[in-house]
Amino acid sequence: MREQAELLTDLVGDRAGEWDRSGLLPVELLRKLGADGLLCAEVPVEHGGQGWTSLDNGAFTAHAGSLCSSLRSVMTSQGMAAWTVQRLGDAEQRDHYLRRLTSGALAAVGFSEPQAGSDLAAMTTSIRVEGDSVLVDGRKVWVTAAYYADLLVVFGRYGDGGAAVVVPADAPDVRVERIADPMGCRAAGHATIVLDSVRLPAANVLGAGAAIPFLVSSSLAYGRKSVAWGCVGILRACLDAAARHATTRHQFGRPLAEHQLVAGHLADLVAAEQVATRLCEHASRCWDSGSPDVVIATLLAKHESAQRAAAGASAAVQVLASAGARDGHAVSRAYRDAKLMEIIEGSNEMCRLLLAEHAVRVAGGWGVR
Amino acid sequence: MSMSMTATPDTIELELLGFLKNKTKAQWTADRDLFADGGLSSLFAMELVVHLEQRFGITIAGSDLQLKNFRTVTSMVELVVKLQRGIGA
Repeated sequence: MREQAELLTDLVGDRAGEWDRSGLLPVELLRKLGADGLLCAEVPVEHGGQGWTSLDNGAFTAHAGSLCSSLRSVMTSQGMAAWTVQRLGDAEQRDHYLRRLTSGALAAVGFSEPQAGSDLAAMTTSIRVEGDSVLVDGRKVWVTAAYYADLLVVFGRYGDGGAAVVVPADAPDVRVERIADPMGCRAAGHATIVLDSVRLPAANVLGAGAAIPFLVSSSLAYGRKSVAWGCVGILRACLDAAARHATTRHQFGRPLAEHQLVAGHLADLVAAEQVATRLCEHASRCWDSGSPDVVIATLLAKHESAQRAAAGASAAVQVLASAGARDGHAVSRAYRDAKLMEIIEGSNEMCRLLLAEHAVRVAGGWGVR
Repeated sequence: MSMSMTATPDTIELELLGFLKNKTKAQWTADRDLFADGGLSSLFAMELVVHLEQRFGITIAGSDLQLKNFRTVTSMVELVVKLQRGIGA
Protein backbone atom coordinates (compact mmCIF):
# COMPACT_ATOMS: atom_id res chain seq x y z
CA MET A 1 0.00 0.00 0.00
CA ARG A 2 2.87 2.37 0.87
CA GLU A 3 4.33 1.84 -2.58
CA GLN A 4 1.01 2.67 -4.28
CA ALA A 5 0.58 5.73 -2.07
CA GLU A 6 4.00 6.99 -3.18
CA LEU A 7 3.05 6.33 -6.79
CA LEU A 8 -0.09 8.41 -6.30
CA THR A 9 1.90 11.26 -4.74
CA ASP A 10 4.20 11.25 -7.78
CA LEU A 11 1.34 11.05 -10.28
CA VAL A 12 -0.49 14.00 -8.74
CA GLY A 13 2.65 16.04 -8.08
CA ASP A 14 1.80 19.71 -7.73
CA ARG A 15 -1.00 19.62 -10.30
CA ALA A 16 -4.12 19.39 -8.09
CA GLY A 17 -4.50 23.18 -8.05
CA GLU A 18 -4.33 23.35 -11.82
CA TRP A 19 -6.95 20.56 -12.13
CA ASP A 20 -9.20 22.49 -9.74
CA ARG A 21 -8.96 25.64 -11.85
CA SER A 22 -9.42 23.87 -15.19
CA GLY A 23 -12.12 21.55 -13.86
CA LEU A 24 -10.55 18.53 -15.54
CA LEU A 25 -8.45 15.57 -14.46
CA PRO A 26 -6.11 13.96 -17.03
CA VAL A 27 -8.04 10.92 -18.28
CA GLU A 28 -4.85 8.94 -18.92
CA LEU A 29 -4.00 9.22 -15.22
CA LEU A 30 -7.45 7.88 -14.27
CA ARG A 31 -7.07 5.02 -16.75
CA LYS A 32 -3.63 4.12 -15.40
CA LEU A 33 -4.89 4.02 -11.81
CA GLY A 34 -7.94 2.09 -12.99
CA ALA A 35 -5.86 -0.47 -14.88
CA ASP A 36 -3.75 -0.99 -11.75
CA GLY A 37 -6.97 -1.71 -9.82
CA LEU A 38 -6.29 1.27 -7.55
CA LEU A 39 -9.58 3.12 -8.10
CA CYS A 40 -11.46 0.22 -6.46
CA ALA A 41 -8.74 -1.58 -4.56
CA GLU A 42 -11.08 -3.78 -2.50
CA VAL A 43 -12.12 -5.82 -5.55
CA PRO A 44 -11.01 -9.42 -4.86
CA VAL A 45 -7.89 -10.73 -6.57
CA GLU A 46 -9.86 -13.43 -8.41
CA HIS A 47 -11.72 -10.67 -10.27
CA GLY A 48 -8.52 -8.84 -11.18
CA GLY A 49 -8.48 -6.48 -8.19
CA GLN A 50 -5.95 -5.70 -5.49
CA GLY A 51 -8.02 -7.51 -2.84
CA TRP A 52 -7.21 -4.92 -0.18
CA THR A 53 -9.01 -4.80 3.12
CA SER A 54 -11.35 -1.90 3.77
CA LEU A 55 -8.84 -0.60 6.31
CA ASP A 56 -5.98 -0.54 3.80
CA ASN A 57 -8.11 0.94 1.06
CA GLY A 58 -9.35 3.51 3.57
CA ALA A 59 -5.81 4.65 4.28
CA PHE A 60 -5.18 4.87 0.53
CA THR A 61 -8.42 6.80 -0.01
CA ALA A 62 -7.43 9.26 2.72
CA HIS A 63 -4.08 9.73 1.00
CA ALA A 64 -5.85 10.47 -2.30
CA GLY A 65 -8.16 12.86 -0.43
CA SER A 66 -5.19 14.71 1.04
CA LEU A 67 -3.80 15.28 -2.47
CA CYS A 68 -6.92 15.99 -4.54
CA SER A 69 -10.58 15.54 -3.61
CA SER A 70 -11.61 15.45 -7.27
CA LEU A 71 -9.42 12.41 -7.85
CA ARG A 72 -10.65 10.89 -4.60
CA SER A 73 -14.24 11.46 -5.78
CA VAL A 74 -13.55 9.52 -8.99
CA MET A 75 -12.13 6.76 -6.78
CA THR A 76 -15.29 6.78 -4.66
CA SER A 77 -17.46 6.45 -7.78
CA GLN A 78 -15.42 3.61 -9.20
CA GLY A 79 -15.41 1.80 -5.85
CA MET A 80 -19.15 2.30 -5.45
CA ALA A 81 -19.77 0.90 -8.95
CA ALA A 82 -17.59 -2.11 -8.16
CA TRP A 83 -19.31 -2.66 -4.83
CA THR A 84 -22.73 -2.41 -6.48
CA VAL A 85 -21.72 -5.10 -8.97
CA GLN A 86 -20.24 -7.25 -6.22
CA ARG A 87 -23.27 -6.81 -3.97
CA LEU A 88 -26.05 -7.05 -6.56
CA GLY A 89 -24.66 -8.95 -9.53
CA ASP A 90 -24.66 -12.69 -10.15
CA ALA A 91 -21.43 -14.68 -10.52
CA GLU A 92 -21.13 -14.04 -14.25
CA GLN A 93 -21.83 -10.31 -13.94
CA ARG A 94 -19.35 -10.00 -11.09
CA ASP A 95 -16.59 -11.59 -13.08
CA HIS A 96 -17.32 -9.63 -16.27
CA TYR A 97 -17.75 -6.15 -14.80
CA LEU A 98 -15.20 -6.32 -11.98
CA ARG A 99 -12.57 -7.36 -14.48
CA ARG A 100 -13.45 -4.34 -16.63
CA LEU A 101 -13.42 -2.01 -13.63
CA THR A 102 -9.90 -3.15 -12.74
CA SER A 103 -8.50 -2.96 -16.26
CA GLY A 104 -8.98 0.69 -17.16
CA ALA A 105 -12.72 1.14 -17.70
CA LEU A 106 -14.09 4.05 -15.64
CA ALA A 107 -17.49 4.02 -13.95
CA ALA A 108 -20.03 6.26 -12.27
CA VAL A 109 -23.18 5.55 -10.26
CA GLY A 110 -26.43 7.48 -10.74
CA PHE A 111 -28.86 7.83 -7.82
CA SER A 112 -30.29 11.36 -7.65
CA GLU A 113 -32.92 12.72 -10.00
CA PRO A 114 -34.35 16.21 -10.44
CA GLN A 115 -37.21 15.32 -8.05
CA ALA A 116 -35.53 12.59 -6.02
CA GLY A 117 -32.54 13.71 -3.95
CA SER A 118 -32.61 12.53 -0.35
CA ASP A 119 -35.97 10.88 -1.05
CA LEU A 120 -34.58 8.26 -3.39
CA ALA A 121 -37.73 6.14 -3.12
CA ALA A 122 -39.30 8.84 -5.32
CA MET A 123 -37.04 8.01 -8.27
CA THR A 124 -38.84 7.68 -11.59
CA THR A 125 -36.15 6.24 -13.87
CA SER A 126 -37.63 3.07 -15.32
CA ILE A 127 -36.07 -0.18 -16.50
CA ARG A 128 -38.64 -2.11 -18.54
CA VAL A 129 -38.22 -5.65 -19.85
CA GLU A 130 -38.87 -6.21 -23.55
CA GLY A 131 -37.96 -9.72 -24.60
CA ASP A 132 -34.22 -10.26 -24.11
CA SER A 133 -33.59 -6.58 -23.64
CA VAL A 134 -34.55 -3.73 -21.33
CA LEU A 135 -35.56 -0.17 -22.12
CA VAL A 136 -34.22 2.49 -19.77
CA ASP A 137 -35.76 5.95 -19.45
CA GLY A 138 -34.84 8.67 -17.00
CA ARG A 139 -32.60 11.48 -15.93
CA LYS A 140 -29.89 11.34 -13.27
CA VAL A 141 -28.32 14.50 -11.90
CA TRP A 142 -25.01 15.34 -10.22
CA VAL A 143 -23.49 12.00 -11.11
CA THR A 144 -19.88 12.19 -9.94
CA ALA A 145 -17.30 11.03 -12.52
CA ALA A 146 -19.97 10.47 -15.19
CA TYR A 147 -18.11 12.80 -17.57
CA TYR A 148 -15.13 10.39 -17.61
CA ALA A 149 -17.08 7.15 -17.29
CA ASP A 150 -17.30 4.29 -19.77
CA LEU A 151 -19.94 2.52 -17.70
CA LEU A 152 -22.87 4.21 -15.94
CA VAL A 153 -24.52 2.21 -13.16
CA VAL A 154 -28.05 3.59 -12.99
CA PHE A 155 -30.72 2.82 -10.40
CA GLY A 156 -34.37 2.72 -11.38
CA ARG A 157 -37.76 1.10 -11.01
CA TYR A 158 -38.10 -2.47 -12.24
CA GLY A 159 -41.48 -4.16 -11.96
CA ASP A 160 -42.75 -3.75 -8.40
CA GLY A 161 -39.25 -3.15 -7.08
CA GLY A 162 -36.03 -1.75 -8.41
CA ALA A 163 -32.77 -2.67 -10.07
CA ALA A 164 -29.48 -1.21 -11.19
CA VAL A 165 -28.53 -1.36 -14.85
CA VAL A 166 -25.08 -1.01 -16.37
CA VAL A 167 -25.31 1.48 -19.25
CA PRO A 168 -22.33 1.88 -21.59
CA ALA A 169 -21.83 5.64 -21.85
CA ASP A 170 -21.48 5.35 -25.63
CA ALA A 171 -24.75 3.42 -26.14
CA PRO A 172 -27.25 5.08 -28.49
CA ASP A 173 -29.74 7.46 -26.85
CA VAL A 174 -27.47 8.14 -23.85
CA ARG A 175 -26.46 11.75 -23.24
CA VAL A 176 -23.90 12.81 -20.62
CA GLU A 177 -23.84 16.58 -20.00
CA ARG A 178 -21.05 17.95 -17.85
CA ILE A 179 -22.13 20.29 -15.05
CA ALA A 180 -20.36 23.60 -15.48
CA ASP A 181 -18.49 25.14 -12.53
CA PRO A 182 -19.37 22.90 -9.57
CA MET A 183 -18.53 24.62 -6.29
CA GLY A 184 -16.23 21.86 -5.07
CA CYS A 185 -14.44 18.74 -6.31
CA ARG A 186 -14.43 20.78 -9.49
CA ALA A 187 -12.55 18.25 -11.59
CA ALA A 188 -14.60 15.23 -10.48
CA GLY A 189 -16.55 15.16 -13.74
CA HIS A 190 -20.05 15.74 -12.32
CA ALA A 191 -22.64 15.34 -15.06
CA THR A 192 -26.31 14.92 -15.83
CA ILE A 193 -27.22 11.64 -17.53
CA VAL A 194 -30.19 11.59 -19.89
CA LEU A 195 -31.52 8.17 -20.94
CA ASP A 196 -34.08 8.25 -23.71
CA SER A 197 -35.47 4.74 -24.33
CA VAL A 198 -32.00 3.22 -24.15
CA ARG A 199 -32.13 -0.41 -25.26
CA LEU A 200 -29.71 -2.78 -23.51
CA PRO A 201 -29.31 -6.53 -23.06
CA ALA A 202 -31.24 -7.84 -20.03
CA ALA A 203 -27.90 -9.28 -18.85
CA ASN A 204 -26.89 -5.71 -17.91
CA VAL A 205 -29.50 -5.61 -15.10
CA LEU A 206 -28.19 -6.10 -11.55
CA GLY A 207 -30.42 -7.15 -8.64
CA ALA A 208 -33.61 -7.30 -10.71
CA GLY A 209 -36.72 -6.74 -8.64
CA ALA A 210 -34.97 -6.02 -5.32
CA ALA A 211 -36.42 -3.35 -3.05
CA ILE A 212 -35.18 0.15 -3.91
CA PRO A 213 -34.23 1.03 -0.29
CA PHE A 214 -32.11 -2.14 -0.10
CA LEU A 215 -30.44 -1.42 -3.41
CA VAL A 216 -29.67 2.17 -2.60
CA SER A 217 -28.53 1.58 1.01
CA SER A 218 -26.14 -1.16 0.03
CA SER A 219 -24.50 0.91 -2.69
CA LEU A 220 -24.43 4.11 -0.66
CA ALA A 221 -22.71 2.30 2.20
CA TYR A 222 -19.53 2.04 0.14
CA GLY A 223 -19.83 5.66 -1.00
CA ARG A 224 -20.23 6.88 2.57
CA LYS A 225 -17.22 4.94 3.74
CA SER A 226 -15.11 6.29 0.90
CA VAL A 227 -16.26 9.89 1.41
CA ALA A 228 -15.54 9.57 5.14
CA TRP A 229 -11.95 8.51 4.45
CA GLY A 230 -11.65 11.26 1.84
CA CYS A 231 -12.58 13.76 4.56
CA VAL A 232 -9.79 12.38 6.74
CA GLY A 233 -7.48 13.25 3.86
CA ILE A 234 -8.91 16.78 3.63
CA LEU A 235 -8.25 17.24 7.35
CA ARG A 236 -4.67 15.98 7.02
CA ALA A 237 -3.96 18.38 4.17
CA CYS A 238 -5.48 21.26 6.15
CA LEU A 239 -3.61 20.41 9.34
CA ASP A 240 -0.35 20.17 7.43
CA ALA A 241 -0.85 23.47 5.60
CA ALA A 242 -2.02 25.33 8.70
CA ALA A 243 0.76 24.01 10.95
CA ARG A 244 3.48 24.81 8.41
CA HIS A 245 2.15 28.31 7.80
CA ALA A 246 1.71 29.05 11.51
CA THR A 247 5.29 27.95 12.12
CA THR A 248 6.93 29.93 9.33
CA ARG A 249 4.87 33.10 9.16
CA HIS A 250 5.75 35.76 11.74
CA GLN A 251 3.55 38.62 12.97
CA PHE A 252 4.17 40.95 15.92
CA GLY A 253 7.68 39.49 16.24
CA ARG A 254 6.81 35.80 16.64
CA PRO A 255 5.44 32.86 14.67
CA LEU A 256 1.66 32.76 14.24
CA ALA A 257 1.58 29.50 16.22
CA GLU A 258 2.66 31.45 19.32
CA HIS A 259 -0.45 33.59 19.10
CA GLN A 260 -2.95 31.69 21.20
CA LEU A 261 -6.01 32.30 19.04
CA VAL A 262 -4.17 30.85 16.03
CA ALA A 263 -2.80 27.96 18.12
CA GLY A 264 -6.40 27.13 19.03
CA HIS A 265 -7.18 26.46 15.36
CA LEU A 266 -4.22 24.06 15.18
CA ALA A 267 -5.44 22.20 18.25
CA ASP A 268 -8.92 21.87 16.75
CA LEU A 269 -7.45 20.51 13.53
CA VAL A 270 -5.40 17.91 15.40
CA ALA A 271 -8.49 16.75 17.29
CA ALA A 272 -10.67 16.71 14.17
CA GLU A 273 -8.16 14.64 12.20
CA GLN A 274 -7.86 12.12 15.03
CA VAL A 275 -11.59 11.75 15.66
CA ALA A 276 -12.35 11.33 11.96
CA THR A 277 -9.53 8.80 11.54
CA ARG A 278 -10.66 6.67 14.48
CA LEU A 279 -14.30 6.64 13.36
CA CYS A 280 -13.26 5.62 9.84
CA GLU A 281 -10.97 2.90 11.17
CA HIS A 282 -13.80 1.53 13.28
CA ALA A 283 -16.18 1.49 10.31
CA SER A 284 -13.61 -0.24 8.12
CA ARG A 285 -12.87 -2.85 10.78
CA CYS A 286 -16.62 -3.60 10.99
CA TRP A 287 -16.61 -3.83 7.20
CA ASP A 288 -13.66 -6.24 7.20
CA SER A 289 -15.11 -8.48 9.93
CA GLY A 290 -18.61 -8.59 8.41
CA SER A 291 -20.17 -7.11 11.53
CA PRO A 292 -23.75 -5.77 11.25
CA ASP A 293 -22.50 -2.73 13.22
CA VAL A 294 -20.96 -1.65 9.92
CA VAL A 295 -24.17 0.09 8.92
CA ILE A 296 -24.30 2.61 11.75
CA ALA A 297 -20.51 2.85 12.06
CA THR A 298 -20.26 3.86 8.40
CA LEU A 299 -23.03 6.43 8.66
CA LEU A 300 -21.45 7.92 11.77
CA ALA A 301 -17.99 8.02 10.20
CA LYS A 302 -19.35 9.81 7.13
CA HIS A 303 -21.35 12.34 9.09
CA GLU A 304 -18.69 13.23 11.64
CA SER A 305 -15.81 13.26 9.16
CA ALA A 306 -17.70 15.50 6.75
CA GLN A 307 -18.66 17.99 9.44
CA ARG A 308 -15.17 18.04 10.88
CA ALA A 309 -13.62 18.44 7.43
CA ALA A 310 -15.89 21.39 6.67
CA ALA A 311 -15.09 23.07 9.99
CA GLY A 312 -11.40 22.15 9.75
CA ALA A 313 -11.04 23.50 6.23
CA SER A 314 -12.67 26.74 7.33
CA ALA A 315 -10.17 27.00 10.20
CA ALA A 316 -7.25 26.29 7.87
CA VAL A 317 -8.33 29.08 5.51
CA GLN A 318 -8.52 31.35 8.56
CA VAL A 319 -4.97 30.47 9.62
CA LEU A 320 -3.50 30.90 6.14
CA ALA A 321 -5.59 33.99 5.47
CA SER A 322 -4.45 35.78 2.31
CA ALA A 323 -1.79 33.09 1.68
CA GLY A 324 -4.52 30.51 1.02
CA ALA A 325 -7.30 32.66 -0.33
CA ARG A 326 -7.19 31.88 -4.01
CA ASP A 327 -8.69 29.04 -6.04
CA GLY A 328 -6.37 26.15 -6.55
CA HIS A 329 -4.62 26.53 -3.17
CA ALA A 330 -4.85 23.41 -0.99
CA VAL A 331 -6.90 25.05 1.77
CA SER A 332 -9.13 26.93 -0.63
CA ARG A 333 -9.90 23.68 -2.46
CA ALA A 334 -10.45 21.93 0.85
CA TYR A 335 -12.90 24.63 1.95
CA ARG A 336 -15.08 24.18 -1.14
CA ASP A 337 -14.62 20.40 -1.41
CA ALA A 338 -15.38 19.72 2.25
CA LYS A 339 -18.63 21.68 2.12
CA LEU A 340 -19.90 19.34 -0.58
CA MET A 341 -19.03 16.37 1.62
CA GLU A 342 -21.73 17.59 4.03
CA ILE A 343 -24.21 17.14 1.18
CA ILE A 344 -23.12 14.14 -0.87
CA GLU A 345 -24.10 10.49 -0.04
CA GLY A 346 -26.56 11.65 2.62
CA SER A 347 -26.71 15.26 3.78
CA ASN A 348 -25.91 16.19 7.38
CA GLU A 349 -29.64 16.39 7.98
CA MET A 350 -30.36 12.92 6.55
CA CYS A 351 -27.48 11.42 8.53
CA ARG A 352 -28.83 12.95 11.74
CA LEU A 353 -32.34 11.65 11.05
CA LEU A 354 -30.97 8.15 10.51
CA LEU A 355 -28.82 8.32 13.65
CA ALA A 356 -31.85 9.45 15.66
CA GLU A 357 -33.91 6.62 14.18
CA HIS A 358 -31.15 4.24 15.32
CA ALA A 359 -31.34 5.71 18.85
CA VAL A 360 -35.10 5.21 18.94
CA ARG A 361 -34.80 1.60 17.83
CA VAL A 362 -32.05 0.77 20.30
CA ALA A 363 -34.14 2.31 23.10
CA GLY A 364 -37.04 0.00 22.21
CA GLY A 365 -39.09 2.67 20.47
CA TRP A 366 -40.19 0.31 17.72
CA GLY A 367 -41.73 -2.36 19.85
CA VAL A 368 -44.37 -0.02 21.25
CA ARG A 369 -45.74 1.22 17.93
CA MET B 1 -16.22 -16.85 5.03
CA SER B 2 -16.48 -17.93 8.68
CA MET B 3 -18.02 -21.29 9.52
CA SER B 4 -21.73 -21.00 10.00
CA MET B 5 -23.61 -22.36 12.97
CA THR B 6 -25.34 -25.73 12.55
CA ALA B 7 -28.56 -24.37 11.27
CA THR B 8 -31.93 -26.01 11.36
CA PRO B 9 -35.00 -23.85 10.75
CA ASP B 10 -35.63 -23.88 14.51
CA THR B 11 -32.17 -22.74 15.51
CA ILE B 12 -32.18 -20.05 12.83
CA GLU B 13 -35.52 -18.78 14.10
CA LEU B 14 -34.31 -18.69 17.70
CA GLU B 15 -31.14 -16.90 16.74
CA LEU B 16 -33.04 -14.27 14.75
CA LEU B 17 -35.59 -13.65 17.50
CA GLY B 18 -32.67 -13.14 19.87
CA PHE B 19 -30.95 -10.74 17.48
CA LEU B 20 -34.11 -8.69 17.03
CA LYS B 21 -34.75 -8.55 20.76
CA ASN B 22 -31.19 -7.48 21.40
CA LYS B 23 -31.31 -4.76 18.73
CA THR B 24 -34.79 -3.39 19.42
CA LYS B 25 -35.41 -4.08 23.11
CA ALA B 26 -38.73 -5.60 22.10
CA GLN B 27 -40.26 -9.06 21.95
CA TRP B 28 -40.84 -10.50 18.50
CA THR B 29 -42.71 -13.52 17.24
CA ALA B 30 -41.80 -15.45 14.12
CA ASP B 31 -44.75 -14.18 12.11
CA ARG B 32 -44.82 -10.57 13.32
CA ASP B 33 -44.53 -8.15 10.38
CA LEU B 34 -41.38 -6.08 10.87
CA PHE B 35 -42.50 -3.46 8.39
CA ALA B 36 -46.05 -2.99 9.67
CA ASP B 37 -45.35 -3.20 13.41
CA GLY B 38 -41.71 -2.33 13.59
CA GLY B 39 -41.30 0.32 10.93
CA LEU B 40 -38.20 -1.54 9.74
CA SER B 41 -35.90 1.05 8.22
CA SER B 42 -33.69 0.47 5.21
CA LEU B 43 -30.63 0.88 7.42
CA PHE B 44 -31.81 -1.74 9.89
CA ALA B 45 -32.72 -3.97 6.98
CA MET B 46 -29.07 -3.73 5.89
CA GLU B 47 -27.99 -4.69 9.40
CA LEU B 48 -30.18 -7.76 9.09
CA VAL B 49 -28.66 -8.62 5.72
CA VAL B 50 -25.10 -8.35 7.04
CA HIS B 51 -26.03 -10.29 10.18
CA LEU B 52 -27.63 -13.16 8.24
CA GLU B 53 -24.62 -13.35 5.94
CA GLN B 54 -22.10 -13.39 8.76
CA ARG B 55 -24.00 -15.66 11.11
CA PHE B 56 -25.07 -18.29 8.60
CA GLY B 57 -22.22 -18.11 6.10
CA ILE B 58 -24.45 -17.20 3.17
CA THR B 59 -24.35 -14.52 0.50
CA ILE B 60 -27.61 -12.71 -0.14
CA ALA B 61 -27.37 -11.69 -3.77
CA GLY B 62 -29.09 -8.76 -5.41
CA SER B 63 -32.32 -10.37 -6.49
CA ASP B 64 -32.85 -11.85 -3.01
CA LEU B 65 -32.87 -8.36 -1.47
CA GLN B 66 -36.65 -8.24 -1.67
CA LEU B 67 -38.88 -6.91 1.06
CA LYS B 68 -40.88 -10.13 1.19
CA ASN B 69 -37.75 -12.04 2.22
CA PHE B 70 -37.30 -9.81 5.29
CA ARG B 71 -40.91 -9.14 6.27
CA THR B 72 -40.99 -11.69 9.13
CA VAL B 73 -38.58 -13.94 10.98
CA THR B 74 -40.25 -16.88 9.21
CA SER B 75 -39.51 -15.44 5.78
CA MET B 76 -35.89 -14.79 6.75
CA VAL B 77 -35.57 -18.38 7.99
CA GLU B 78 -36.87 -19.58 4.61
CA LEU B 79 -34.33 -17.41 2.83
CA VAL B 80 -31.43 -18.72 4.92
CA VAL B 81 -32.50 -22.34 4.42
CA LYS B 82 -32.84 -21.80 0.68
CA LEU B 83 -29.41 -20.18 0.39
CA GLN B 84 -27.70 -22.76 2.61
CA ARG B 85 -29.13 -25.50 0.41
CA GLY B 86 -27.90 -23.64 -2.65
CA ILE B 87 -24.34 -23.74 -1.31
CA GLY B 88 -24.57 -27.47 -0.52
CA ALA B 89 -26.06 -28.37 -3.89
